[in-house]
Amino acid sequence: MSQIFMTYGTMITPIGNSAEENFIAMMEEKSGVQFVENSGFNQENWPLGKILSLPVENRYNELLKRACANLIKAHGSNLFSDEKTLVIVSSTKADINALPKDTFASTRRILEEELHLKNKIVVISNACISGVIAINTAADYLNHTDYTKVVVIGIDALSDFIVYGFQSLFALSSEPSKPFDKNRKGICIGEASGVVILSKEKINDAFHVNYLGGSSSNDANHISGPSRTGEGLFRSVKLSMERASVSSEQIDFISAHGTGTSYNDEMESIAFDRLELVDTPLNSLKGYFGHTLGAAGLIEVIASMKMMENNTLLKSVGFEEKGTTHPINVLKENQEKEVTTILKTASGFGGGNASLVLKKCV
Amino acid sequence: MKLTGNCKISKNGVFLDGEFQKQLQPVDENWKKEIYSKLAIDYPKFHKMDALAKMAFLSVEILTTVSNIDKFKDSEIALIFANNSSSQNSDLKYIHSYNVKGSPSPSLFVYTLPNILTGELAIRHKWYGENCFFIEEKFDVEFFLEQVKFYFKKGAKTCLCGWVNSFEDIEECLVFNIENKGTNDTILKEQLLTLYNQ
Repeated sequence: MSQIFMTYGTMITPIGNSAEENFIAMMEEKSGVQFVENSGFNQENWPLGKILSLPVENRYNELLKRACANLIKAHGSNLFSDEKTLVIVSSTKADINALPKDTFASTRRILEEELHLKNKIVVISNACISGVIAINTAADYLNHTDYTKVVVIGIDALSDFIVYGFQSLFALSSEPSKPFDKNRKGICIGEASGVVILSKEKINDAFHVNYLGGSSSNDANHISGPSRTGEGLFRSVKLSMERASVSSEQIDFISAHGTGTSYNDEMESIAFDRLELVDTPLNSLKGYFGHTLGAAGLIEVIASMKMMENNTLLKSVGFEEKGTTHPINVLKENQEKEVTTILKTASGFGGGNASLVLKKCV
Repeated sequence: MKLTGNCKISKNGVFLDGEFQKQLQPVDENWKKEIYSKLAIDYPKFHKMDALAKMAFLSVEILTTVSNIDKFKDSEIALIFANNSSSQNSDLKYIHSYNVKGSPSPSLFVYTLPNILTGELAIRHKWYGENCFFIEEKFDVEFFLEQVKFYFKKGAKTCLCGWVNSFEDIEECLVFNIENKGTNDTILKEQLLTLYNQ
């Protein structure tokens, strides 16, 4: 198999409208999470990662249109209308307000209209691991078909549907989330869109990484709670490292899932301990953006690429005191460090776990 | 690639490897529960599942009575599922819980993701392999086989695929198992199309 390259598409969050803007804001420790009035089912003011400039109605479709506009501005339109370009979308709920009509119809329509695509759009909806699986699937297409470029779009917007749902599970945090911290209280929900472009050759002069390998594995344990042994995450990371031909010692940094719930973060520490990765620096970006579901894998990969480009590890916002059984190396401060090889992980409802390994291009 | 087993279920009945299963013929509206009872299995979690997961669960139960998927290691079985309605039926029921019934129901909310059904299958059969759930515009044989090919290249020994829909008054489920041996792909495509249209 030949090399696979990956570079930035775009990244839209409450703190920035591009990968670069987001990285600068993160370096300044800005968080996109703030209290949103009457966002709860009983009019609670939950802390959420809300993009304030999006309209009240039609947030998802507007966010997707913005992502398309950014893509055209940054890369021109030929890249997308090329017959050897494929688009993969990662979203959990898409345009949920379209119900009872097809919630994914607007995604296809907007992408076709804005990007003038020649090929069928592949949509992945696999809970919170959708984004990482979508990147892995993009690599499959480049490895085994004639496509030369695959655009992976991760996107989910805030909705009452999602906020009420996590509230009903008692999973929401009453304060901005504190992944891996002793006093973590749960999840903050957020909204974002993150886009990466994978290709068989570098597409421009911008920073690229090599995609080395990825995988998924099911916990085979519970539909809405993580495995107590971290089995699926353990298996997926092990397999991804095998496929990437890298060992634990070669991983410079882990972009963890870290939702901020008691069980999830504990599970991740167990899996990383089993993988001999407890000393490897890691962060969760949920403290900056909240949990953005189908976008999470994408924006976290993009932020990790920025860290590689700048040789700077970003701290895990919200983390103060060790809060897991196994003493994992959660970043308390931004740190300058040569970052060559990184591991990205994700875990989610349905017992899914996914991971991938990236390496800086030399 | 070779089709090594398939099962199609709906309110009209069960087809296992293309053969109508008379002994599993449901008669009333509550057809999924009826088939579950006829199978005489004891798995109380079934009753908590949404329609998508129930249909996938039942068809895989029936399929595994004749196919020996379990001869493979727990990490060698990839689950590749798709539909064109996501979790629409469960989404609407959950919305009803907070719009009409007074409070958002956590037990309905957890089923508002289509990949919960692959999680249910993994739990039932202790399958730890790779999973992916796609939203497609329509049943697309070429797409399924493309994905299957990817997972074989990555090391899966068998791919359990499924097309499962529950929306409006449509309830349909076809699961099929493909192994990485023999048969030409043109024949396989025709077999799958015939099964889908049966």
